[in-house]
Amino acid sequence: MPPDLKCKIAGVEFANPIMTASGCAGYGEELAQIYPLSNLGALVTKSISLKVRPGHPPPRTVETPGGMLNAIGLANVGIDRFLSEKVPFLKKQKTKVIVNVAGSTIDEYVEVCSRLNDCSCADMIELNISCPNVNEGGIEFGTSPQLTEKTVAASRKVFKRPIIAKLAPNVTSITEIADAAEQGGADALSIINSVIGTAVDINSWQPLLSNVNGGLTGPAIKPIALAMVASVYRKCKLPIIGIGGITDYKDVIEFLLYGATAVQVGTALFVDPSIPLKIVKGLKKYLKEKKLKSVTELIGKVRR
Amino acid sequence: MTKPTCEDALVVKKRDLNNDYFSLVLAPFSGAKSIKPGQFVHIRLPSTDIYFRRAFSVASVNPAKKEVEIIFKVFGRGTKILGKMRKGDSLDLLGPLGVPFSFPLKNENAVIVAGGVGFPPLMFLAEKMIEKGHNPKLIEFFYGGRSRLELVELSRLRKMGIKLHLSTDDGSAGNKGHVTGPVEQYLKKNLKEKMKLFGCGPERMLKAVDELGLKYNVKGQLALEALMPCGVGICLGCVVHLKAGGYARVCCDGPVFEIGVVNIAS
Repeated sequence: MPPDLKCKIAGVEFANPIMTASGCAGYGEELAQIYPLSNLGALVTKSISLKVRPGHPPPRTVETPGGMLNAIGLANVGIDRFLSEKVPFLKKQKTKVIVNVAGSTIDEYVEVCSRLNDCSCADMIELNISCPNVNEGGIEFGTSPQLTEKTVAASRKVFKRPIIAKLAPNVTSITEIADAAEQGGADALSIINSVIGTAVDINSWQPLLSNVNGGLTGPAIKPIALAMVASVYRKCKLPIIGIGGITDYKDVIEFLLYGATAVQVGTALFVDPSIPLKIVKGLKKYLKEKKLKSVTELIGKVRR
Repeated sequence: MTKPTCEDALVVKKRDLNNDYFSLVLAPFSGAKSIKPGQFVHIRLPSTDIYFRRAFSVASVNPAKKEVEIIFKVFGRGTKILGKMRKGDSLDLLGPLGVPFSFPLKNENAVIVAGGVGFPPLMFLAEKMIEKGHNPKLIEFFYGGRSRLELVELSRLRKMGIKLHLSTDDGSAGNKGHVTGPVEQYLKKNLKEKMKLFGCGPERMLKAVDELGLKYNVKGQLALEALMPCGVGICLGCVVHLKAGGYARVCCDGPVFEIGVVNIAS
């Protein structure tokens, strides 16, 4: 019998533990032209805000050793156009859909979440309380335990299906934020969002990003992400979705061993949009070799 | 959009075009047959310290042999590695990507403006136009560079039977000065209703061509260059400002844009 890749988070079953990370797959349309989205455990959408956001002016990205800095600025179509233009497409895809939600006030989170509650296409939502590159919100919510709890609790009241809180690494204690998210009623945690960073042009002496600061992603942040997943797994009962620099099936196994139930692949999609398919293939082979029946047998099994 | 192919191809031919310019022919690439002028291939470099692919507009294809040719100048870290590739080396290609040029009508005069490393997609365009029956005498190919050494593949362009107009900043070949000077003189003298303008080159040149198109009311298209993390439209990292406001992705809303649409930085 082939090994079972299915996994379950807060009662929602996924065909495999490989999801796309928010902001790395748009609303799925581009990837769907390359392969059927049914190959994914879930598609996580770009952050949706109440109003359209054009995003930051260019330059928005910088290549760095082992990854990139980005300051896209939460460019997105806004909830109205998301529901009218993107949901009809997403409804036709045979994959789970997780809608990532961003806001600059708690009221904005609530408004977007309540609109999504009426949209059956959103199997889950993921609260982005950790975007490092917009001034008026995002990370402010995710660096304060009080605001994390408040934001999650307010969203919880209006969204009746499972809620994931996406946590920032740019905090003193991620376990404190994880506890706050749990207190607020989150059903799962995704760990981590990007790490704050910047870069300067040594000839013009100007920052290489129009926004100055950006979020560092890619293989460079994998060890940071793994350590944060491990520390939250030890202290918090909520299921974890591991994110940070995942490029192949071996990275996925590391995250699972440290306690993640599923993972999201982000920056690696930019190098190879088909990477989820290759990861799934690699995972199957690994499980077979290790004589494991299910991918869930790896969760939290690190030996220490 | 044609579904892009992602596969390894070998360097089957490498030519040193002097002054750090190289031509690489890569094959077999099953996406080769569907590549149109203006489109690009996104190449993954065999290097651990370069994470992203590099976008190269295609210079020619041989569909029967599944060959793709790129021409580049060694400029940064990525092209340095590519310049060292040898026959038989393997590269991971993703493509074809991007919006291609629209071919002008058969009776239209094509005014093509190429600046430095921007010439390969325009050479491809001229070649395909002729293949489709366009009279080469109706193709005015303006090609500019810093010096004679920066103008490559001249015999190849001459063989096409097109009208070639060279410019160099230092006057070592053709007209001395920017390529857009002779273009404007040409437009002034020969302005016709049935005329299309095409450009690819440095931003300052593109901006000048854009302005010429608007000034003389000649429609046409410009191919832009950008650093592209993904090349397929998902990262939103390669955006340019639009004149009408907002942004467009160079990789999939372009790289070919209509004249007058993009607010080109200079």
